[in-house]
Amino acid sequence: MVERSGVLAGGVMGAVVPVFLGVLGVLVANLPVSVFGGLVPSPLLALMPVYFWTLVRPDLMPPVAVFGIGVLEDLLSGGPPGIWAASFVVCYALIDRERDTFAGLSGVGAVLGFAAAMSATAATAYAIVSVYYWRFPPFALLLVEIAVTVLWYIPGAAFLNWVHRRFVGAARSEF
Amino acid sequence: MANGIWKLGRRGGTQLPLVIVAVLAVVLILLGKAQSSIFDRARASVTDWMAPALQSIRQPVQGMQSWVGSIGEVFTVYQQNLKLKQENARLRQWQNAALVLESRVKRYQLLLNAVPDPKLSYRLAHVIGRASKPFLETMILDAGKSQGVKPGQAVVDPGGMIGRVFLAGDRTSWVILLTDLNSRIPVMIEPEHAHAIMAGDNTLAPTIDTLSQGAQIKAGDQVVTSGDGGLLPPGLPVGTIVTQGGGFRVALLADPSTTEDAEIVDYQTALEQVPSVTPGDMPASVAGMPPAVPQPPVTIAPPPPAAIPGMPAAGNASASHQAVPGAAPRANQPGAQQTSPPQKTDDDNEDHPE
Repeated sequence: MVERSGVLAGGVMGAVVPVFLGVLGVLVANLPVSVFGGLVPSPLLALMPVYFWTLVRPDLMPPVAVFGIGVLEDLLSGGPPGIWAASFVVCYALIDRERDTFAGLSGVGAVLGFAAAMSATAATAYAIVSVYYWRFPPFALLLVEIAVTVLWYIPGAAFLNWVHRRFVGAARSEF
Repeated sequence: MANGIWKLGRRGGTQLPLVIVAVLAVVLILLGKAQSSIFDRARASVTDWMAPALQSIRQPVQGMQSWVGSIGEVFTVYQQNLKLKQENARLRQWQNAALVLESRVKRYQLLLNAVPDPKLSYRLAHVIGRASKPFLETMILDAGKSQGVKPGQAVVDPGGMIGRVFLAGDRTSWVILLTDLNSRIPVMIEPEHAHAIMAGDNTLAPTIDTLSQGAQIKAGDQVVTSGDGGLLPPGLPVGTIVTQGGGFRVALLADPSTTEDAEIVDYQTALEQVPSVTPGDMPASVAGMPPAVPQPPVTIAPPPPAAIPGMPAAGNASASHQAVPGAAPRANQPGAQQTSPPQKTDDDNEDHPE
């Protein structure tokens, strides 16, 4: 009985936490707080939970949730609508297609895997923006944002790992 | 980390939702391109809703940043004090010269029956949000429609112009900075009076995109708003011309990354005067319009005598911005009749001209 209630609580929490952290990542990344005085773009924090749980628990990070997190990022960042929503969806499709490759990575390889996903997301956004405005925006700031986001993923992944073990856990079918 | 210590989740069943959200994303992009007002309203509503939280976050962050910034200044405070004293003395001389020239210009305008200068009023607002992203440079101010803010208004700080309002909610407004990829404003380069378009490209110094033919500009020339198009007031200081890579860029006077308070410029162009009907004009009914209703005559008092330099003038034309009325004084002969639309005065505004 105790085990059943624990699983139930974990299920409810597991259904909420990944998407909640994605939304939280959007909010935090768009707060008027700048550690480097606005010289460095804020990291794309929302992509971390999207990447993490798309790999380990894709049932808790469905495409609709990824799309919603992207729309919220568009809404709060001030840019044209749909840019980050489409980029997140492309990133999700990439991870979904190459999940075996990404999930087999560990240590530095896991960070490089996230860097690849972040690069794909940024490249998609860059392509959409280029078509949207019909000119090429400067690439340097995007590279800086990729680097900052990947650096933040190192502590971020440790945090997500802890949250996953503590609140989410593996799927019932995986025991 | 996601290193495969967990068993992989079930993959199946995601293809159809993925295709659906991909289509939705494309539709959202196209919809935003064709009809951005829907998304803008949603964005303004979200920002209005989050404004109290953003304001409460801003205060401790601002305090922390100023505290950290002041640590380094402790060691240079004496040199800064001397420098500021010298600069203050120099600026006082310039202020006196500017006041004398301003009063002289106003006297000349009155003598020449010149078109009155546009009225400017300012609304102070606090910066409660910034977005320094690879594709956009924006900031959020805590003033919106309820404070009279409208899209298109210029935003300045003590240094110069920093951007313009592109979206106004009820209590907040979004500002597109001059450095943003989408920013394009008409400017004039002094002293050549060369008209140009200044375009942002998400770098610190916007480019001079389109320059009037034959214009010769050089590094060090001053850039101000030209007022072309009537959206922005003319003469707002913007920056200085610098050369880079064979082209011209503008080193902005203002630094939006450090701006904490900004002023929103309310620019009111003078209302166009309706020409009076003369006997030679064709009746309006020829154009299928209803005949004009005769307006009650308005008798305007004769203008005060022009001020003579060095002597106090009756009415003191040089003392106030209101000395140059909105009504065209060319018809101000004794007994002349003029029908003019009501002019908005400064008393009608809540704002106070600086």
